[in-house]
Amino acid sequence: MTEMLPTAAKHRSAMSLGAIVAVFGVLSLSTVAFGSTWIPFDQIVGVILGAGEKTQRIIVLQLRLPRVVMAILAGGGMAVAGFLLQKITRNSLASPGVLGVIDGAALGVVIFLALLSNESNALVTSIAYQPVAATIGAFLAITLVFMLSGRQASSAIRLLLFGIAVAAVAKALTVIFMLIGPIYRATQAQRWLAGAVNEVNWGEIQVTAIAILPIMVLALLAARRLPPADLDETSARSVGLNLPVFRILIFALAAALTALSVAFVGAVGFIGLMAPHLARLLVGRNVYAGIIASFLLGAIFLVGADMIVRVLFAPLEVPAGTVTAIIGAPYFLFLLMGKQRNDG
Amino acid sequence: MTDNSSPRIDVRALSLSYGKVEVLQSLSLPIERGKITVLAGPNGCGKSTLLRAIRRLHKPTAGGIFLEEVDISRLGDKALARQIGLLAQSPSAPEDMTVEELVRLGRYPHQSMLQPWSPDDASALESAMAGTGVSALRHRRLGSLSGGQLQRVWIAMVLAQQTNVVCLDEPVNHLDMAHQLDCLDLVRQLKNAFGRTVVLVLHDLNLAARYADHLVFLRDGAIAAAGTPEALMTEENIARVFDVEARVITDPVHNRPLCIPINTIRP
Repeated sequence: MTEMLPTAAKHRSAMSLGAIVAVFGVLSLSTVAFGSTWIPFDQIVGVILGAGEKTQRIIVLQLRLPRVVMAILAGGGMAVAGFLLQKITRNSLASPGVLGVIDGAALGVVIFLALLSNESNALVTSIAYQPVAATIGAFLAITLVFMLSGRQASSAIRLLLFGIAVAAVAKALTVIFMLIGPIYRATQAQRWLAGAVNEVNWGEIQVTAIAILPIMVLALLAARRLPPADLDETSARSVGLNLPVFRILIFALAAALTALSVAFVGAVGFIGLMAPHLARLLVGRNVYAGIIASFLLGAIFLVGADMIVRVLFAPLEVPAGTVTAIIGAPYFLFLLMGKQRNDG
Repeated sequence: MTDNSSPRIDVRALSLSYGKVEVLQSLSLPIERGKITVLAGPNGCGKSTLLRAIRRLHKPTAGGIFLEEVDISRLGDKALARQIGLLAQSPSAPEDMTVEELVRLGRYPHQSMLQPWSPDDASALESAMAGTGVSALRHRRLGSLSGGQLQRVWIAMVLAQQTNVVCLDEPVNHLDMAHQLDCLDLVRQLKNAFGRTVVLVLHDLNLAARYADHLVFLRDGAIAAAGTPEALMTEENIARVFDVEARVITDPVHNRPLCIPINTIRP
C-alpha cells in the first residue's frame, strides 16, 4: 500500500481509535465483573456511583476496582514512555525495558525495600517513597546509558546496546541485594520484580495517579515538537528543533513515567515495546492519536494480562508480568527479525 | 533596512575545531544576496563544515557568522530556521511517511503553540510542492519513490521553510546525470524565481562552474581562491588546490570553463 488518500487515512485512524476505546471499556468493566461471583455491568456502575449492597461494594471497590485502575495507570504509563522512546530514537525496538529504565527502577525499589524494612518485614518509612526510589533508579540508569553512548547518543543502536548492558548490570545488582537481604524481603522483592497488580490499595493508586497525570500532560505538551524528531539529526535541527536538548527532555519524561508506572505494580515487561508499536500500526503517524492509543493499548495489555492470570491460575496469584513477558518476548524477536530483513 | 549590495551572510574570522583538530582557520567570506555561491575543494578541506557552521550546526571556536549584521549565535532556534535552511548530505525520514507529511515539516519553525497550521503554511506547502514538481506525489510514501524524486521532495521541504538563505550539502550525490541537471536547475530556480541566496557544496567542478555565480575553493580549512568561475577555473588553481594537472577549455554550449583532468600531481 503505497498510496492512501489522507481522508481515508484519517477515517481509518479515527475508526481504530474508536475500536481501541471500545475494547478498553468493555475489558475494564469485564475484569471488574469477573471473579468468584459475577457482578453485572449495570450493578458495577451503580456501585461506582454509590449504590449497591455492602458485600458487593466491598468486592468491587476494595478488591477488584483497585487492581483494574492500577493496571490502567501502570500499563498506560509504560506504553506512553515506550511511545516517546521509540519516537525520539527513531527505532521501534526502543522501550523502557530495552533501554534499562525498568531494571534501573527495579534496583531502586529493591534497595529501598532492603534498606528501609525492619525485622518484622515492615517498612520504617512511608510506602509513598517507593516511587521516589524507583524514579531515582530509573534516572540513574537512563543517565548512565546516555553518558556511555557519549557523542553518539543520537545513534539508536548504540543506545540500545548500552541500554541492554546497563539493564544486565542492574539485574545482577538486584539479585545481589535480594540474596544479602533476609529471606522475607527477598520474597517481597521477587513478587515485585515479576510485576503484579494484585494487593494494590487506593493509597498507592492515589500516589501513582497524582504523580503520573502531570507527566502525561507534559508529554502531550511536548508532543507538538515531536514530528521533526522523525528526521535525521541535521534535518531536524535545520527546521528549528533543538534535538540534543529536546532528546534529554523526552528521555527524562519517559524515565519518570516508567518509574512511576512500575513503582507499585513491579517490573512488568514488554508493554512499553508492544503497545506503541501496535498503536502506530493502527492509528498512523499523528502524535496525539499515537499517545492516546498507546496509553489505552498499554492499559488493555496489563488489564488483559491480569485477567488471564486470574482465569488460568485462580486461586493462585500469578503475577501479570509473566503473561506480558510470554507474549512480549516473541514479539520483540519478531520485530528484530523484521528489522534484519529491512537492513539486509 | 540593509542595502542590497551588502552581503546577506558574512563569515568573519571563523575558526572551528573538532576536539583538538582545527578544521577551519580564521576564515572570512562574504556571501552575496540572491546569488549561488558554490564551495568546492578536495576531501577534508572543510567545505561541509563551513556550510554546517553557517547553519549553526557547529559551534565556532572563534569568530562568527553574521546574517544581515546580526550574529547568528544570538538568534533563537526557530528564528534562525526561518532565515537559513539546510538540506543535509544524506537526509533520512521514515519510509512510511508521505511526501506531504515530510514537506509539511518545513513549516515547523513557522508554527507555535498559539499559531498552529495557518493558511500561510498551507500556501507555502502548496507552492513548495508545485515548484519542485512533486504535487502529484503528495500521498505517496517516501519508501516508494526513486532517488531523483526523493531528492526533489527534500528540496521541497527546505523550500517550504521559506528561508531567504538555502544551504545544500552535495545535493547531487548519488543522482544520475539527468537527475543531477534537474536538481541543479531547480536550485537555480530557487535563485531566479524566488530570489533566494543559495550556498552549495559540490564535488563536480564542471557542474560547479556551470551553476555558480561565485565559486570558492577551499583547501586545508582556508580559502585558497574565490571569484567568478571564469576567473577561478584556471589550470594553475586546479593544480594548486586539487593536486590535479588539468586542461581548462571553454564549454562550447554554455560558455563556462570546463575542466578536463589529466593526472594527479602529488608533491
